[in-house]
Amino acid sequence: MEAFAQSIEGGVIYNWVTSVYWLWPLMETIHFIGLSLLLGGLIIIDGRLAGFFRGVNIAATHKLLPWVFIGFGLNLTTGVLFFFGDPMRYAINVGFQIKMVLVVIAGLNALWFWWKINPVMQDWEPDVNPPGLAKVIAWISLVTWTGVLLLGRLIPYVSTG
Amino acid sequence: MFEWLENTSVALWVGESLWAYPFMLSLHVIGLAIVVGILSMLDLRLLGSFKGIRTESFLPLMKFAWLGFLVNATSGVFLFTSQATTFVQSKPFLIKIACIFVGAILTKVIQNKLSKSASDGSMKGIAVVSLLLWLVAITAGRLTAYI
Repeated sequence: MEAFAQSIEGGVIYNWVTSVYWLWPLMETIHFIGLSLLLGGLIIIDGRLAGFFRGVNIAATHKLLPWVFIGFGLNLTTGVLFFFGDPMRYAINVGFQIKMVLVVIAGLNALWFWWKINPVMQDWEPDVNPPGLAKVIAWISLVTWTGVLLLGRLIPYVSTG
Repeated sequence: MFEWLENTSVALWVGESLWAYPFMLSLHVIGLAIVVGILSMLDLRLLGSFKGIRTESFLPLMKFAWLGFLVNATSGVFLFTSQATTFVQSKPFLIKIACIFVGAILTKVIQNKLSKSASDGSMKGIAVVSLLLWLVAITAGRLTAYI
């Protein structure tokens, strides 16, 4: 990763991100708005899947997914630009490294949901108490994304490794 | 008064302890995701997105949103004490606090209307203002670190 980071420094994107002084705070702001959309949608979707808010029609919560993906897209875009703007700082940061591992785990967990739960969901009643596996997947999602948030915020405070 | 606040033992703890400031920041970002996450979804619903979810369905979520609000008010006060004199002179900070204050009142108005099933034409207007207030609060909050 360090070699990759070194190859970025001096490149077109690196020069652009580091030369436009208002770009970094603007991207940070977008990153915060994106995480609100992502987490906001997932709190409702995964909270319902974990068995809370039974009054909410479980199938309807999935209509929030486009907003979750918009939030993820905003944060993937700004996140890549952060990395390109300061590659050596992120590449060797333990907080960043664990954060990326958690994002991958969250992604695999979403695939698990798509493979195991999504196909059987249409048979569920709107006020269903979801089965155990669905609750496990919902909790993994909530815990990993909360971890992503925490580690992201702590990047400036943790050491390199 | 703010100088006094900055020199209280709590403020010194937040400012000087190795982990207190990052710990409060961590709580603050989780609270932010809960508050703005839930309320922006509610505002988008009131504006006509995902009509399959009944607006009253959001009522059980409001307790959770207010819990997030409490987390952020508390962590925010701790963060504030450590640099009180700087924050009270920061324009972005004052704008942020004003937005949060009005945003909280509008949240209460929306919640009351939902629980009385008294949704009317004014709801969309309130939802637009609420959404904008949270966006400005986040933007101004981020800018306190720069301006």
